[in-house]
Amino acid sequence: MKGTLALAWLELYTRRRRIAALLLFGLLYLIGALTVRAVGIGEHGQVEPDALQNFGGYPLVSAFLLLGWSIGRYPLVIILVLVGGLFSTDAYAGYARLYAATRVRLITLYGFRLALLMVVAFVMSSVLLPIFDFIILGKLSSPQLLVLVGCYILVFGSITALFSVFTRADAWCTLFAWITAMIWAALGRGGFVTNVPDAVVQGITVVLPPQHALNAIEDAFGNVMPTPWGAVLYVCMYAALMLLVSGYLLSRREI
Amino acid sequence: MALREVSLTIPRGRITAVIGPNGAGKSTLFGLVLGFLRPTSGDVTIEDSEPRHYVHEHGVGYISERFSLPPGWPVDRAIAALGGLNGLPPSRIDETLGSFGLSEHRHKSVGSLSRGLLQRLGLAQAFAARRDLIVLDEPAIGLDPEWRIKLRDCMTAQRDEGRTVLLASHDLDEVERIADTIIMLEAGAVKDILDTAGSHTATGFRIQLAHVFARVSDIFPDAVVDGASFSTTVRDAEDLNNRLAALIDIGGRIVGVTPDTARLEDRVRRELDT
Repeated sequence: MKGTLALAWLELYTRRRRIAALLLFGLLYLIGALTVRAVGIGEHGQVEPDALQNFGGYPLVSAFLLLGWSIGRYPLVIILVLVGGLFSTDAYAGYARLYAATRVRLITLYGFRLALLMVVAFVMSSVLLPIFDFIILGKLSSPQLLVLVGCYILVFGSITALFSVFTRADAWCTLFAWITAMIWAALGRGGFVTNVPDAVVQGITVVLPPQHALNAIEDAFGNVMPTPWGAVLYVCMYAALMLLVSGYLLSRREI
Repeated sequence: MALREVSLTIPRGRITAVIGPNGAGKSTLFGLVLGFLRPTSGDVTIEDSEPRHYVHEHGVGYISERFSLPPGWPVDRAIAALGGLNGLPPSRIDETLGSFGLSEHRHKSVGSLSRGLLQRLGLAQAFAARRDLIVLDEPAIGLDPEWRIKLRDCMTAQRDEGRTVLLASHDLDEVERIADTIIMLEAGAVKDILDTAGSHTATGFRIQLAHVFARVSDIFPDAVVDGASFSTTVRDAEDLNNRLAALIDIGGRIVGVTPDTARLEDRVRRELDT
């Protein structure tokens, strides 16, 4: 256990530059939020699109909306940057063989690392997003935000871990899967897949990241509705399945 | 390189060396022994266990060919982590660093080490946990002569303590000095297996006489006579001196004694030529 802990510490130490870059990236959002607040605060103490429209016209409103949308993807960005290369880099560089020659199973070693990186991603997101919301809305976010952050980290951390068993382009593959799921979910919402056989729709929806469930959680948070626990459970089960498959394949693959 | 029709038993408590040209399959063989690779046919067992099971139960001291670690890792923490995975207690980290001349480099990052220091770090983590099986893939790469000698001493010490050392090397002189069994691989197949156990102190010599002497075989029964000189093998220095004294007593006149050091190299040349 001591060796696993020491190695996990080294993992964070190795990724300290990535973490610093992510913090700086988050800082940019906060600076953006402060700027928007300075020029667009309304009479209720929160940023008002009308006030932004009056100050900077449509481009400023668009920038504000983009800022708000993209900060919601910050957990995804963090998890891609931190978990990318989790196993694939070690396999490529030959470090995995060194670890595999010890008494600690690779599944334990990388499982522990993944959990640690997920916790770091969760903590960073859970600090940045509420601060951003506080600046924009002038009040604290509801705890639902943490559920949303946790779901994003679970889903995309587990998918990246799965891809990492096969390819060094693990983070890119996850990004591609996420974009595909977004498009698929949008097509579903827009009623563009009504002519597709139901089994095909269901199959594609199950294989792709559960964007519909994430959207449901995000919508509930945005509209101050109760947390859709069914969607949360679906996300957790999807992540658990990804982790199980990753662990199985890791234990079976050649190094 | 794929291996084919390889059937081997690696004896416990001995040093077994695997030699062969680049691409002969040495690293593949080690990958199979350690469970990194799975055989497409046949099986590999260590003490009746599947390799990965054995490694998880007992751990293995291992250094890979072209050993490297993430360049940002501090040396002492690298030893603590890798040793820790194999059961090295924290109290022995300082001792391990000292044994491999790394104490003064302990706070340096791995990326700032020279090739030789990096190799010593790899050897330190391989030997530190004192596992029963130690697998060394080209362990002498980058080492200076002093550390090559220390590596040899370290390997023989492990054998003397009952551990099994599996070694791949291109250094035939080194292999001949320390290995008990030498496996020659070529193109994925075993070309020959030489059992040299107990012969490390039995040294070959070429002895030059002042003139042709018919009674050489009275003293050196295995002598291969070639005119006024002959080749022979003795157990040790005392055996050599006793026999030379006996030869002189019966009338032999010695003008030169030369160690016959390149037997393995000659053997490899012959095998690879055929």
